[in-house]
Amino acid sequence: MTQVAGNRAAGEGRFPAVAKRLTGRLEVRMLGLALLIALSLSILSPYFLTTNNLLNLLDQSVVVGIVAIGMSFVILTGGIDLSVGSVAGLTGVVLGLALQRFDIPVSILLAVLSGGAIGLFSGVLIGGFGLASFVVTLGVMAIGRSLAYIFSGQTSITNIPPALNDLVYTTVFGVQTNVITLLALYAIAYLYLTHTKGGRTVYAIGSNREAARTAGLNVLFYSILPYVISGALSAVAVTLLSSQILSIDPLAGNGLELDAIAAVVIGGASLYGGRGTIIGTLIGVFIMVMIRNGLNLMGVSPFWQGSAIGGVIIAAVFAERLLSGDRMRR
Amino acid sequence: MTRSWPGGTPPGHFSPAIFPMNRSDVNTQPAALLEARDITKSFAGTKALAGAHFALRGFEIHGLLGANGAGKSTLSRVITGHLARDGGTLTYKGRPLAPRSPREALEAGIAMVMQETSLAPDMSVLDNIFLPELGRPGRLSYATNRRRAAEILDELGHADDLSLDQELRNLSAAQRQLVEIAKALALNSDLIIFDEPTASLSPGEVERLFQVIIRLRNAGRALGFVSHRLEEVFALTDRVTVIREGRTVAESVDTASLNQSELIRLMVGREIGAIYTARHVVPAKRGEPILEVRNLRLPPMVTDVSLELHRGEILGLGGLVGAGRSETVEAIFGLYPGAGGTMKLDGVAFAPRSPTEAIRAGIGFIAEDRRTQSIIPDFTVRENLMLAHLGAHRGFGLGYRARQARVDELMTMLDLPAHRLLDDSMLNFSGGMQQKVIIARWLLLEPKILILDEPTKGVDIGTRSSIYAILREIAARGVAVLVVSSDFQELIGLCERIVVMSDGRSIASVPSALLDEEKLTLFAAPRSSMARNLDLLRGLAQNHGGAAFWAIVDENRVFCLHTTVSDRDADPGFGAGATPRFEETRIGAALRARSAAFVREPDSGLASLVVQVKSPRGHDLGSIGVVLPPGLDLPEAAAIQARIATVFEAIQ
Repeated sequence: MTQVAGNRAAGEGRFPAVAKRLTGRLEVRMLGLALLIALSLSILSPYFLTTNNLLNLLDQSVVVGIVAIGMSFVILTGGIDLSVGSVAGLTGVVLGLALQRFDIPVSILLAVLSGGAIGLFSGVLIGGFGLASFVVTLGVMAIGRSLAYIFSGQTSITNIPPALNDLVYTTVFGVQTNVITLLALYAIAYLYLTHTKGGRTVYAIGSNREAARTAGLNVLFYSILPYVISGALSAVAVTLLSSQILSIDPLAGNGLELDAIAAVVIGGASLYGGRGTIIGTLIGVFIMVMIRNGLNLMGVSPFWQGSAIGGVIIAAVFAERLLSGDRMRR
Repeated sequence: MTRSWPGGTPPGHFSPAIFPMNRSDVNTQPAALLEARDITKSFAGTKALAGAHFALRGFEIHGLLGANGAGKSTLSRVITGHLARDGGTLTYKGRPLAPRSPREALEAGIAMVMQETSLAPDMSVLDNIFLPELGRPGRLSYATNRRRAAEILDELGHADDLSLDQELRNLSAAQRQLVEIAKALALNSDLIIFDEPTASLSPGEVERLFQVIIRLRNAGRALGFVSHRLEEVFALTDRVTVIREGRTVAESVDTASLNQSELIRLMVGREIGAIYTARHVVPAKRGEPILEVRNLRLPPMVTDVSLELHRGEILGLGGLVGAGRSETVEAIFGLYPGAGGTMKLDGVAFAPRSPTEAIRAGIGFIAEDRRTQSIIPDFTVRENLMLAHLGAHRGFGLGYRARQARVDELMTMLDLPAHRLLDDSMLNFSGGMQQKVIIARWLLLEPKILILDEPTKGVDIGTRSSIYAILREIAARGVAVLVVSSDFQELIGLCERIVVMSDGRSIASVPSALLDEEKLTLFAAPRSSMARNLDLLRGLAQNHGGAAFWAIVDENRVFCLHTTVSDRDADPGFGAGATPRFEETRIGAALRARSAAFVREPDSGLASLVVQVKSPRGHDLGSIGVVLPPGLDLPEAAAIQARIATVFEAIQ
């Protein structure tokens, strides 16, 4: 440990200031990694760097990308939300059942509200009663999936109004609305986290909860809010997924929590909270989707993809640890 | 106020010609058991140690001195394996020593009594005393351990009031400290470092501890004694080593060859008088208090605290570690919404349910532990500075821009470099700089009341005096300032009035002009450890049918620690915490007379006997007085004096 510190101190003097400022920013380093992966994939596969495939990449990023926003909020406060996948499954079923009786907008609203309500439940237990987020969301994960099966009658809901398709396949300047929704949500999340009291409070809670409380920040409210956002965004994600395939499966979103957590972590966020950016998360999502897409293009067996993604997660976090050289945090 | 010394050598940095600092001198002495040379240690870029030396030999008690944050504890922890050093050499019994863990140091025979105790709250006293044994191979002998633990507690004078089976979480701060000490003694180590072992002990317990330490020395052990209390250092140590800002500035000097002012100069690098300049003149009459606290209760730490704080006043809240001072101010700030008692802010009932409410009502609070209670490590310095603003802010956005002009002003006022506002983290700043930023955080809100808990903990001496200057300046502008500190010198130098706390109670509110450190120490002594003295008072009052008191009696004032009245006619006219002049009491003549016999008051006819008491080591412990109503036959003075003497000889 002492060795590393010494090397770092020696290296600092030689680094030009601008380069240091740039590499000092986490998003820049992650963007570099993303471009490196993109470059290697375009060399390995002639199909990677085509307009079609790039639009395809964006399309594939939508579901995990939207869920990863909520996950970023939760992880920034130092928590974790394991329930996003099953909340997506359950709210999908809510959407499907609602569509049998109500208009499309009302149904979507109901799905998003129920997602938010589940998040509120977890959030109150975690933020209000101090239960461990891991345990609470693990429980909600099991409950959500079980309810999804019960409410759906263990089958897919397929009689969905085709008009729902417009939610995804309407294009603006050749870009699908689901991609626009994704980018708009990221823009809003970015502005919220960097330019509002609530956003900064989320960071402060994750970095030092006690200090945030002593400075008069509303720690209770902003410890709960991220879970509400996470639950609601899971519903948004499953809505876009259902619109695309016009079928709702109670199994939808299975394993989504792991992809979302991976994206946030690859994006440089600390699981201890307080550190990470929403731009980093978006880059993390792209890195994951690119690897999966690239391996598909090269015809690598899907069974190997898990190993590849897992390897990237560990490598990214390890590299980040070495680069930032931050050993003070517990 | 100077922060750098133009000559390069700070004043008070003694050259080797005056104090031996080179090896050859040391080698003429008996060989050192432990020798630490040029030890360096940094935390996140801050140098805690930058070339510290320390040598310990058997048959000695060696004081390790330095101001707050000088690096005493860090050096002790390096020696005892709690921290790994960055550089330097450690030699123990002639061989190089590099303990990678406290365990390795213990095996070698080096133990430490920690300042922040290293005990397991859920385990019993016995288990805690033998906690280090758990790391050793082999079976534990329960019966032997129990006997041995009982012996150690007896030695410390606590065999009867500290049960071996009590759970540690139910003990007071002083009792925990005693368990920590017992734990180190149980190890039977050759070398023990005591890191501020007296911070939460009463004078009587300190006496007992000193006797134990002296006995260990006479048995040939090497004992390090870390402290910033000079009177203890003079009373106990054979030699001293002084560190300042991570460097040894005087090594292994005979304690007898030093006097107090030399030692202070070594510790702080200049005359201490300069820090506490421009002492406030106490105004004769203050208006209505801005904050009034009545019977504040927050079990288990706070049982009954009352205080009044006025505009433009600097009020001190003093007491030993564990007396409940931090909990008191945290409750005022709304951190414990369940606290009992009443508070009034500007005459209106005030019961904050959260810090936010307290902040919006105009209270600022600088907590004791910067790292855990104040600093957001992932925020830039600027955002850290804005944090309380964010807490008070009502809008959706940040509202930083509206505050920027005031931030610039504060940066100038506090002498902080503006370009470091955008630094990524405050953790690379020195303790003094960090504290200034936290102070700026609260001054930004222009509070009516500013509460500071240990404002100069881990702050260098230069910044210390500028913090004092700032506090005086804002007080002069009408801000009410409440300072919590265990540094009695600081309290007396900075505050106009001091509210003294002991065992969760406020027991006196005294103008600091009347106090010195000795009086404050006696006032602050935990009541729990004075049980025998209070029993004595009760006995005296009842047996003789009058009243008895325990007080410090100086030239013209009484500082009353406790009064017991059995017969109302014999009331001496002052109760616990009162500090009346002689003529304001009912026994002025007796107090003035300083006689060894009963003295009768010319006007009221009350008869009083005042007996000075000292500890077995000659420490002044005030006076015990017996007051009898007029018309009673006087008992024999000598018998009463003997009775008092017996209690104080077997002190606590």
